[in-house]
Amino acid sequence: MTKAMILKKPGNLAWEDIDVGDPGAGEVRLRQTAVGLNFIDTHFADGSYPAQSYPCILGFEAAGVVDATGSGVTEVKEGDRAAYCLTMGAFTQARLIAADKLLLLPDSFSDEQAAAGLLKGMTVQYLLRQSYRVKTGDVILIHAAAGGVGNLLCQWAKHLGATVIGTVSSADKADYARARGCGHAIDYTREDFVARVNEITEGAGVDAVYDSVGKDTFLKSFSVLKPFGTLAMYGHTSGPVPSEDFAKIPMDRYFIRTTLAAYTNTREDMLAVANEFFDVVSTGGLKIDIGHTWPLSETDKAIADLDNRRTTGATVLIP
Amino acid sequence: MPHAIRIHETGGAEVLRWDEFDAGAPGPGEVRLRQTAIGANFLDIYHRAGTHHMPLDPLPAVPGVEGAGVVEAVGTGVAEVEAGDRVAYPITVGSYAEIRIIPAAQLVPLPDEVADDVAAAVILKGLTAEVLLRRTTQIAAGDEILVHAAAGGVGLILCQWAKHLGATVIGTVSTDEKAELARRYGCAHVINYSHEDFVSRVQDITSGRGVRAVFDAVGKDTFLGSLACVASSGTLASYGLASGPLPPFGFADLPMSAYLTRASVRSVTESRETLLQSAAALFDALRTGAVEPVISARYPLSQAAEAHVALETRRTTGSLILEP
Repeated sequence: MTKAMILKKPGNLAWEDIDVGDPGAGEVRLRQTAVGLNFIDTHFADGSYPAQSYPCILGFEAAGVVDATGSGVTEVKEGDRAAYCLTMGAFTQARLIAADKLLLLPDSFSDEQAAAGLLKGMTVQYLLRQSYRVKTGDVILIHAAAGGVGNLLCQWAKHLGATVIGTVSSADKADYARARGCGHAIDYTREDFVARVNEITEGAGVDAVYDSVGKDTFLKSFSVLKPFGTLAMYGHTSGPVPSEDFAKIPMDRYFIRTTLAAYTNTREDMLAVANEFFDVVSTGGLKIDIGHTWPLSETDKAIADLDNRRTTGATVLIP
Repeated sequence: MPHAIRIHETGGAEVLRWDEFDAGAPGPGEVRLRQTAIGANFLDIYHRAGTHHMPLDPLPAVPGVEGAGVVEAVGTGVAEVEAGDRVAYPITVGSYAEIRIIPAAQLVPLPDEVADDVAAAVILKGLTAEVLLRRTTQIAAGDEILVHAAAGGVGLILCQWAKHLGATVIGTVSTDEKAELARRYGCAHVINYSHEDFVSRVQDITSGRGVRAVFDAVGKDTFLGSLACVASSGTLASYGLASGPLPPFGFADLPMSAYLTRASVRSVTESRETLLQSAAALFDALRTGAVEPVISARYPLSQAAEAHVALETRRTTGSLILEP
């Protein structure tokens, strides 16, 4: 029997038996070996992002082995190691999924690395290479620099030749971010990041800000952005930005609200984003850091940890 | 005694008064300019009315930001221009005057082929178009763009210049007469928003892709629709609020992976180097005929209030000139 973590209603997760069934046309059955946990899962778990219906299975990212294929599947075959990161329903031991959502894993990539890094790594690819294209010599500001996406942003941005300034919430996280390429780590619980960024850049400001914090950092971040600089927002852990703040964006700065889905509309786009991520990992430009491993059956505890900002690096759930 | 239009209090067009006004002598770095043509802009109405957090201070004050004329006298340390030079400036408050004092660094020397009235008609609006098309965005051949108020002062320049760059221009206007004018100056598709929904028309024209850039100086009435028209990785540039401040909108109204920016000509006017670069690009566009100035009305400076009423009631097209 297959077990899955079911969200009965917001706030209520249960470990229960499910019947996966056989893959239909264009689908495969994936026996999952590692599942990724992301901040967006906490929004769905507490209901702040409503699911289409309840009960449902949360989670967007996992890796495993193709167990059966339906008719017309060309992308993968039985026995292939594959992973995905944008299809809801990952908190399970096995699932059906459209074959065109799967990425074949290179041999050098472990299942845990894929589950821990695919969504975050592909997010970092579009943020650093598409939303704003980081160049050698750029100075960039990364909020939550020790987080799952944050630490990958630090590493990859440094690899691209940028000077990285990061904000973190503790001295430990500052050390962690520093060890991953963050040239200047600012503990925002003790220091005003605006004043520190101005000091570090001698008043020039930064070329880009990568922000997943939202309303608490929005206007402050704009105040340290150079003319024609870009603030890319890919989440809002402190809450959505109130609309009156948008009218206060300083002149000649760009705001972009982004999501991976917008950069992976076609399979071709998705493969391009993923392949650049696989490449940068294989050449040593990026190290996937698995900070926490939980049994999938204890997903609720893993979510509580993430929600309370007690994590560093990625969290992987093992089915 | 020379005269100027001054406001002693903020309010409607009636607060514009024709006063005797002695500009005085230029201080260090300044020149005295005898003005020959003055541009009237929507921005002047914000200043006059004290809206958008843009009051003139202190009062009384001379409104207006754009003009052209001849340098009459220079203060100490002025290297940029000399007496007798023909010059224009895009955005220095105090232009509704026969004679004014102005920092020399804000003046652009005029080439012989650019007449004073043309300069006053295009120096602010044309530099704004240059910023929007070449700095805020980099519009290139094949791009589809949306220009609101396409028959307005900036609008007609944007349409012509963007077409010259190879873009397909979709414009919105409020009347059929304005539609005709916008079409004549480069708009491939004109939408009269008084009887058509511009969002669905833009989706039709672009086969649902949306546009690479939206240039929106209308604000309140168009902003939410503009958000819905931007393509993925496109840019919505808000550069004015003619119909009022931006309406409240939620995070969910924001398009994914499109760039939102408030564009301002000040990005080029604050440094002399970029001011002269941007002006050179504009003068080039005039010389090659890529941009043809459209002066639709001239008013004696003393009658500036009439120009304001015309702008406020959206009756105008192209550029309005005040003649000292």
